[in-house]
Formats: sequence, structure tokens, C-alpha cells
Amino acid sequence: MTIRGIGLITVLAAIALAPAASVTAVAQNKAWTAPRTPDGKPDLQGIWSYATITPLERPAEFAGKEFLSEQEAADYEKRRLQEMNMDRRDGTAQADVTRAYNDFWWDRGTKVVSTRRTSLVVDPPDGRIPPLTEEARTRTAARAEERRRSGRGPTDGPEDRPLGERCIMFGSGGAPMLPGAYNNNFQLVQTPDQVAIVIEMIHDARIVPLDARPPLPKNVRQYHGDSRGHWEGDTLVVVTTNFTDKTNFRGSSENLRLTERFTRVAEDTLLYRFTVEDPSSFPRPWTVEIPMWRSREPIYEYACHEGNSSIAGVLAGARAEEKAAAGAGR
Amino acid sequence: MRNVVLVLTVAVTVSAVLVLAQNPAAYRAPRTADGKPNLNGIWQAFGDANWDIEPHAAAAAPLALTGAIGATPPGLGIVEGGTIPYLPQAAAKKAENYKNRQTLDPEAKCYLPGVPRATYMPQPFQIVQSQKTILMTYQYAGAVRTIYMEDPGPAPADFWMGWSVGRWEGETLVVDVTSLNDQTWFDRAGNFHSDALHVIERYTRTGPDHLLYEATIEDPKTFSRPWKISMPLYRRIEKNAQLMEFKCVEFSEELLYGRLRKPVAQ
Repeated sequence: MTIRGIGLITVLAAIALAPAASVTAVAQNKAWTAPRTPDGKPDLQGIWSYATITPLERPAEFAGKEFLSEQEAADYEKRRLQEMNMDRRDGTAQADVTRAYNDFWWDRGTKVVSTRRTSLVVDPPDGRIPPLTEEARTRTAARAEERRRSGRGPTDGPEDRPLGERCIMFGSGGAPMLPGAYNNNFQLVQTPDQVAIVIEMIHDARIVPLDARPPLPKNVRQYHGDSRGHWEGDTLVVVTTNFTDKTNFRGSSENLRLTERFTRVAEDTLLYRFTVEDPSSFPRPWTVEIPMWRSREPIYEYACHEGNSSIAGVLAGARAEEKAAAGAGR
Repeated sequence: MRNVVLVLTVAVTVSAVLVLAQNPAAYRAPRTADGKPNLNGIWQAFGDANWDIEPHAAAAAPLALTGAIGATPPGLGIVEGGTIPYLPQAAAKKAENYKNRQTLDPEAKCYLPGVPRATYMPQPFQIVQSQKTILMTYQYAGAVRTIYMEDPGPAPADFWMGWSVGRWEGETLVVDVTSLNDQTWFDRAGNFHSDALHVIERYTRTGPDHLLYEATIEDPKTFSRPWKISMPLYRRIEKNAQLMEFKCVEFSEELLYGRLRKPVAQ
């Protein structure tokens, strides 16, 4: 771990534990060390939540502002919860339809992150994901063109629907993990030579070997990539490669190299940082930081595909519309 | 007559295997740091139980077009005593399931496999054992379940993979699995259960690379009495062994939604 990293973690721990961090509090936190597993590694185990209403990228209203004050955070939380409330029945009919998935179904947290940062992106310093490279834009355009030429519509068949709707993977489940609509929880289980990262969002378990073995052969690609882990001081570092070209995390390609860092900075705080490196998609690496908090509830089984009526409904609806249109044209 | 002899031979063979298997305590497993038998590793059943847990001869594929690839390999089964004690109505439903297995088998639909089937699917699974929690992660469909070593109380709902509470009995990890739904099968032959299913699993190391898997199956809505299955599991000893991604949703979409595709223009 770098000196800068240690300093940062100490500050974060101080903020997490004592919002009005005094010099004494900081000094105490320097002394805090994570409990150990029987083999002497930091014990990161448990169920951690990454539900938060802090946006991934810094909103324009906070341009140039890295942190919120306590009062600003409280105001922001209040306002955002009101704006995002899906139980509201005011506004246009269209607005009402978009709120059909009402608040009962959402579980995205009610608080900003404990550091009160204005965005989850911490690097670049402006809190924004770097714009896609020319190469990435060309790639996206070529795909769109290929699709246009194929003549396929968005509801022709199941493979024309998004991965999430098909219950194949959600952007929030990762790798990496990011707050989403619900199921923002993961469980970490450690053994001396393996770490399991179990994501509630479609019950995906990444088993991460810690024995420095090479990654899968280059031609073997997986939606969640292929992860290898090692310890850097008290931080568990997980490097993931071998993504598919369909995983497409925030516009990335199959060349994405993802580095996740897990550090337990307080009894109930797991600091999660990940860095996205993909020169074919981003002009520079970028980093996200989420202080996760310990969940008191177990992980439940999210049997997404088993209960998926959406795909059948969407396709059946499209066929019915085509039939009606054909009837009208006759 | 020949069939009777065959069945008897099979029954005797299966019993002999079970008798041998039920005295596994001779082996003392390596320990984890907290002194428990160490079950960590990637394990796999080798055999034909996933095609049919009862003794069975080879059979043609349900879809003739898949050729010999889709055929059922023969096997001696894993059911103690050879046959599953179905109640009469349940036996009829099993026969119906078998007839329609190509479309009804939850495995064809890439649904979570349930317990005990997850254990003997033809893909590996991994045990990740720490003190308070043991994870069972299965390559098939990315299924996963937590074995709670501290009782978390009753399940809040039914689950495809059930609600598993574990305890140690000497060399054996005993897992009590309840709150299973009625949607999963035991195998590709249509053997099934209701939501009253209760499975008590026993995992016992019998050697450096072997794990004995036993399970008692109770379901008074489907079976006339509890019954048992038993089989060895083998460690995947390849140096580079790891679970890989088998996200089978994509492979099931034609079966599930093919009828809803936009017809190809003439």
C-alpha cells in the first residue's frame, strides 16, 4: 500500500466513525487494525451494502466541489429522495407510467456515502468518467451500423433485449459493483487460498484464487471476467480480465482490466475502490470509491430468470402490435 | 426373469456400495484453523445420477435430432434400495414428467437446480468454508447457497436452493435444508418432489480427494416414507481447476421464448 493510500484510509475511517473528526479521533483510528482470520489476514468477511444515493459522476451543481458539508448532505438527501420517489402520483401521464415500478421495489439507499463525497468517481478529480476514446466511439457506431443493416428490431427476439432484462447480468452486480435499483449487497467469505465474492444481484459468485496462478487463456471470455487476488498489506486486491465484448462496462471493451481493492477501515466499514483501465475505450484510467457498510440482513436468493415474465411479455406484446398493424393495413 | 435377476444384482451391488460408504469415519480429514474437517475444494460427482437417480438402462435422446449426444448413459443409480417410494399419484406424475422431460426439466430452462440435484449435476461445485459460513457454489447456472453455521432462524420465504443450516457431527458436515420450492427435479428423468421437501445432507471426507455425499429425502406429500441417496464426490485435482461461468440463460431462450420470435419475412 502507498503512503498516500494509508493517509486516505485513515482520513476516511475518521470520517466514517466521527463526522466531526478531531485530532484525537484521527490518532485513535491510526491504531485501529482489522480483526484477523486464523491465518493472520485482515478479516473482511460479512455482508456489505453499497446502497447509496451518491451519484456515480459528480452532478453539474457540485462542479469543483469534492465534499458536502453535513448540512448540504442532509439537504441533498432530502431533495433526491423526494425527486426519486416513485409513489408520487403528480405530473403527466407519461411520468406516472415511468413510476409504475413503485417505491416498494426500490432499495437504493437513502443516504449519501459516509465520506460525503459528491460523486463515487474519485479520479479524475472532476468526478466524471473520462469521455470515450475515438476508437470506442467508432466501435459503438460500427455496432449500431451492423445492427441497422441486419434489419433487426429491438423486440424481434430475446437476444435483442438488454442483458439485465434477460437476467443474464446487471450493471450493478459487476464486476465491478455499483449501486443499482435494489439488491445492493454482497457477501465476502475468506479461506487461506480463496476469497468468494457473492453478489446478491443474480446470485453471482466470483471465487478468487489467491495463489498467483495465471488468468484463463485469452480466448476464454466470461461476462464477469476472470478474477485473481492477492494481498497488498491489509488490502485485498482483485484483478479481473477476460471480459466478453458484451459485458461492456460503461462503454469498455473486452480489453477491460479491472482492479478492485477491499480494505476494512473500521469495524463496520469496508472501503471498496476499483480502477478501470482500458486504453481502447478511455484515454486514462478512472477510479471509483464506495465506503460500504455492514448489513444486518442475510443475502437472499434473487431467482431473476426463474421469475422472468418480462421477456415473454415484451415479445408477445410486440407480436400482438405487429398483428394489429398488419390487420389495419389490410 | 432375466430382468428380475438384473434388478437383484443391481440392488445387491448398490447395497454393497452403500454399506462400504457408510463407514467413512476411518479417515480423519485435515483440519481448518478452527479444528473442523476441511471440506474446501472443487468437487464433482462422476456418474449418471443427473440423468436418472434410479437404476436405469441407456435410453435414446428425447430429441432424436441430437443423435447419440443427447442419449441417456446407463447407470446403477444412487437411491438406497433402488427405487423411490412414490405415492401412487406421484408415480403417475413422474411418468408424465419423463414423457415431457425435454420441455419440462428445469435444467433445460436453466432454472436453479435445487438440493440435492445441484450436487450431482455434471459440472463441478466448490465449497468455500470459513468458520461462521460455508458457501456451496455451483458452476451450473452460477447457483450458490449459504450454509449457516449459526442458526439464522426460520426462512423468510421458499427458495430454489432452500434454506440451509449446518452443524458438525464429528467428521461429518450435516446440513438441514428446508424451504425448498416445488419447482425443481431430482434428475433429467422427471423425478420430482413437492414444497414439503426436507433434505438432510451429510458431507464426509473419506480420503484426500474423496467426499461421501449422503442425503435423506422426506416429503410426505410425494413419498410413502423417507429415502436415502448416497454417492462419492471427487476432488478436481487439476492444478488449474476453477469454477467457470455457465450462464445458461442464453442457452434456454429458444426453448422458453422461441415461439414469440418475430417470424422471418418471406
